[in-house]
Amino acid sequence: MKRISRAAAFYAFMLLSVAITLFPFVWMLSTSFKGPGEIFTKQPTLLPHIWTLAGYRSIFAAVNIWLHLWNSVVYAVALTVMSVLFNAMAAYAFAKLKFPGREKVFSLLLITMMVPGQVTMLPVFLILKSLGLLNSYAGLILPGSAAVFAIFMMRQFMMDIPEEILEAARIDGFSEFAIFWRIMIPLCRPIIATLTVFSFIGAWNDFLWPLVIMIREDKYTLPVALASVNGQYNTDWGMLMAGAVLVVVPAVLVFLLAQKHYIKGIAAGAVKG
Amino acid sequence: MNKPARYAVKAAALLALLCFCRAQVLAGQQITVWAMGAEGKLIRQAADIFEARNPGVKIVTQAIPWTGAHEKLVTSVIGDMSPDISQMGTTWMPEFRAMNALEPLNGYMSSSLDTADFFPGARDSNLAAGQWYGLPWYVDTRVMFYRTDLAAKAGYTKFPSDWEGFYKFSKALLKVKPGGYAFSLPTNDWQIFLMFYWQNGGELLKGPALTAGSFEGAVEYLKRFFDEKLSPLEGGNDTDMLTAFESGYFPVFVSGPWMISQIHTSKPGLDGRWATAPLPAGRRHASFMGGCNLVMFKSSPRKALAWKFMDFMAGPEMQAKWYALSGDLPASRKAWASPVLSGNPLLTPFRKELDTAKAPPQVPEWENIAGAVNDAVEEAAFGKVTASAAREKLSARIERILAKSDRRQSPLFKIALALFIFLLPLCAVIVYLRRGKAAPAGGRAKPIAALFLLPALSILAVFLFIPIIASLIASMTNWNMYGVNDWSKVVFVGAENYVALFHDQVFLAGLRNTLLFAFIGVPISVALSLCLALALNAQMLKLKAFFRVAYFIPVITTMVAVAIIWRWLYNPEFGLFNLALAKVGLPAQSWLSNSWLALPSLILMAVWKGFGYNTMIFLAALQSIPDSLYESIAIDGANGRQKFWYITLPMLRNTAFFIIVVTTIGYLQFFAEPYIMTGGGPMNATMSVVLYMYQQGFKFYNLGYASAMAYLLFGLIFVFTFIQFRTQKRLEGKF
Repeated sequence: MKRISRAAAFYAFMLLSVAITLFPFVWMLSTSFKGPGEIFTKQPTLLPHIWTLAGYRSIFAAVNIWLHLWNSVVYAVALTVMSVLFNAMAAYAFAKLKFPGREKVFSLLLITMMVPGQVTMLPVFLILKSLGLLNSYAGLILPGSAAVFAIFMMRQFMMDIPEEILEAARIDGFSEFAIFWRIMIPLCRPIIATLTVFSFIGAWNDFLWPLVIMIREDKYTLPVALASVNGQYNTDWGMLMAGAVLVVVPAVLVFLLAQKHYIKGIAAGAVKG
Repeated sequence: MNKPARYAVKAAALLALLCFCRAQVLAGQQITVWAMGAEGKLIRQAADIFEARNPGVKIVTQAIPWTGAHEKLVTSVIGDMSPDISQMGTTWMPEFRAMNALEPLNGYMSSSLDTADFFPGARDSNLAAGQWYGLPWYVDTRVMFYRTDLAAKAGYTKFPSDWEGFYKFSKALLKVKPGGYAFSLPTNDWQIFLMFYWQNGGELLKGPALTAGSFEGAVEYLKRFFDEKLSPLEGGNDTDMLTAFESGYFPVFVSGPWMISQIHTSKPGLDGRWATAPLPAGRRHASFMGGCNLVMFKSSPRKALAWKFMDFMAGPEMQAKWYALSGDLPASRKAWASPVLSGNPLLTPFRKELDTAKAPPQVPEWENIAGAVNDAVEEAAFGKVTASAAREKLSARIERILAKSDRRQSPLFKIALALFIFLLPLCAVIVYLRRGKAAPAGGRAKPIAALFLLPALSILAVFLFIPIIASLIASMTNWNMYGVNDWSKVVFVGAENYVALFHDQVFLAGLRNTLLFAFIGVPISVALSLCLALALNAQMLKLKAFFRVAYFIPVITTMVAVAIIWRWLYNPEFGLFNLALAKVGLPAQSWLSNSWLALPSLILMAVWKGFGYNTMIFLAALQSIPDSLYESIAIDGANGRQKFWYITLPMLRNTAFFIIVVTTIGYLQFFAEPYIMTGGGPMNATMSVVLYMYQQGFKFYNLGYASAMAYLLFGLIFVFTFIQFRTQKRLEGKF
C-alpha cells in the first residue's frame, strides 16, 4: 500500500513537471493552427476554436522551405559529426593518454571558456575574411567544430571509465586509435549522444553566425530564412509559430533518436567480461 | 528642310543614340538590392516593374531579417561584401557615413527628381553638409489611436488637440470605464518622450545638448499621468497592446501606421469603434519621423544602374504603388494625392503629422544617446531625481558620448605595440608550460596524444586563441565605429577603457545583477537538474523516452516562442501568475517592470529554459554507474538512501563538478533572457554585463570598450572557477 501511494506521488510529480515544461511547446503547436484573431486574447484556449493551416500556407509561400531546410541539415550535421569526432579525440588524450604538461594545457583550455564568446565574433569574422572563407560552408562550420565545453564534458566522463579496460586492450596489442574507436566510443555512448544533441541543436537554432557569414539568400539556414519574413513592427504570429514548429520538429526527432543511447550498464558489462 | 528643323532632327537622332547607348550600357547588368523583412520580399514586385521598363537589366533582391540586420550590414561592409543598394533605417545613416561606406549622391542627381517633394523630416536623414547619401523610401510617424466608443461615453466626439485638453480627456476617460488606465505611456520609449519634448519647444544637440525648461516641462507633464494613475508607472512596458486596446485597459496609445492593419486583422470586432488622431500639440506640433531610406554602397561596381533604380523607387509614381503593395507610407508628398491614401480617414492624421514630424539628430552615436534618454526619463518618471537634475545628468552623459579625441598614432608604433601585447600572453603560456616540466606525470608518456589533439587544438588556435588575444589588444584601444572600416582611426588608449568602466553606473549595475543571478540561479538549476535526472533514471518510471523528451523540450524550443509565452504568463493585466495571485486574494504584480521582481522573474525563466541541459548530462553519467556497485552494496543490506549517498553521489562527482563549473560560467554570461524580455530595464534592474557588452559592442560599435568589459568579466569568472577547483581538490582529499 505504501509502495503504491509512493508511486502515485512520484507520477503526480513527474506529470506536473512535464506539464510545466511542455506547456509552451504545446501552446506553440496550437498557435500555429490558430487564426490571427485567436492568438492575442485575454483567455487563450489550449486548442484553436477554428483550425487553420493559413500560417503554414503563408510560410511555404514566403520562403523556399526545402532549400533552407537542406542548408540547415548540411550545417548542423557537418558541425555535429566534426565536433563529436574532434572533441572526443581531444578528450581521450586529456583523460587517458599521458603526455607532459597535460593538466596545464587543459587548464589553459578551461580558461578560454571564461571569455564571453560575443567579443570574439568580429575577430573570427576578420580571420575568415583573410582566409577567404566568408560565404562558404567551411567558414560557417569550422569555427564551431571544436569546443572547449565539449572537450571538458567528454573528459570528465571518460575519466570515470576504469583504467583496467584500457590496460587490458593495450596488453592485447590494440593501438591507441583502435582503443579509442572500438572501446572508448562504445563506452561513451550516453555522453556522445548528449554531445550530439547539444551540437546539433546549437547549430540548428543558431541565428546570428549563419546570417553574418552566409551572404546570399539561397545559403540562408532555416531560422535565418524564417526570421526574414517578419516586418519590423508587423508580425504575422500564425506564420511565425508555424515556422517555429518547422524548426523545432527536426530537433525533437534528433533528440528522440539520440536518447535511445542512454542504455544502462555497458561499462559494467565490460568490467565483468 | 530648313536649318532649325535639320538641327532638331540631328539633335533628336543624337538623343536617341545617346539613350540607346545608355540603355546598351545598362543592358546585361545586374545589381543586388537588400531590404529588410517583409519589404525584402515585397520589393521583388517593384523590381519586376523596373525590369520590365528597362529590358536586359536584372535586379537581384534579397530579404534580410530585421533581427540582426544591423550586424549583417556592418559585417558586409567590413567583409567587402556589401550589395549595390540597401534599405537603411533613418537612424543608421550617420553610422554608415562614419564608416565611409555610403556613396555621395549629388553627382547623380538629375532634374527629374524633385527633392523638395520629400517631407522635410525624411529629407534630413539623407543630407549631411549639403551632400545626399540616400533617398527616402518610405516614412512612418506616430499618431494617437483611441477608442471612439469610450471617448463618446466620456462626452468627447473629437480628440483633444492640445496638452491641457488631452489631460482632461484622460481624466474623463478613466471615470467611464472599470479598471485599467487612460493612456499607455511606456517609461522605456525614448521616441514617445522626444515627441513631447519637441512639442514643448525642446531641441536636441542644437547648441546645448538639451533645452533647459522644455525638458523639465515635458517630464512634469508626463509625470502627472503617472502620479494620477492615468498611466501605469510599472507594467506599461510589457502589455500586449492589441488585447489591452480591445479590453479598454488602454483606450489610448501612441503608435505608427503598421498598427492600423494589425488592429484590422487581429481585432476585427473593434471595427468602427476606434480611430486615429494627430498628437495633441504643446507649444507646437511635433511627431516622430521614422522610416527607411535607400542607399548606394561605395563598393558598388554598377553605380549608374543602381542610381536609376533608386531614382525609380523614390519617385511619386512608385511611392504610391509601394503603399498599395506594402502599406508603407510614401515619403513623397505628391504620392499622397493618390486616392488610396487621401481617401482613407485613418491616414489623414498621419499626413498632418508628416509635415512637422522631426527626425532625431544625425550623429553616429545616436543609438547610444537614445539609450541614455531612456535611462534619464525613467529615473525622473519614477521620481528618483528631479526633472532638472535628470536633464543635467543626461546633458553630461550626452557630452561624454559625443566627446571625440583626434589622437593619431603612427602605424609602426601601433603594429609594434599590438605585437608586443600579442606576444605577452603567449610568452606567459610558454613559461607556464615549461615550468615543472622536469616532473613527469607518472607512467609512460604517449607521443601519439599529439595526433589526438591536433584537429581540435588547431581549430581552437585559429578561431579561439587568436581572437581572444585580439580582443585583449582591442580592449586597450578606442576601436569604435569610426575605426571599424579604417584602421588609421584606431589608437591605443592604455587602461582608459578599464578605468572608465569602474565609473560607469550601468556597468556596475550589470555586475551586481550578474552576480545575483549566478548566486541564486546556479544552485537552483543544478539541484533541480540532479533531482529530475534521478527521477528519470528511477526504475519505477515507465515511458522513460517520453519524459526525457519532455524535460528537454524547453532547451529545444525557439526563444521567440518561449518569450511570447512567458510574456503572457507575466502579463500584468491577465497573465497566469496574476490570476493565481488574485485567486488567493493577493494584489497583481508587474513582474517584468518592477525593479525588485524583474530579476527573479528572469531567473525563474532562465532556470526553466536551461535545466534540461544539465539533466541530460547527469542522466548520461547515471547511466554509466555500473550496476555491480549497487548490487554489492545491496548484498550488505543498504537501503535506497544509503545507495544514493555511498554510490550515486560519489560516482557523480566528476560530472557534478563539471556541471557546477560550466553552469556558473554560463550564468555569469547571462544574456538571452534580459535581451529578449526586458532589454535590461526597468532602470537597469536586469542589465547584465554581457547584455551591456553586447549593446556597447554591436549596437553602438564601441568595440574597444566592449572588449574591456569582456576581460573584466573574464577576470571575475576566473576567480570563481579557481575557487571551485580549489574546493574540489580539498573535497577529493576527504574521500
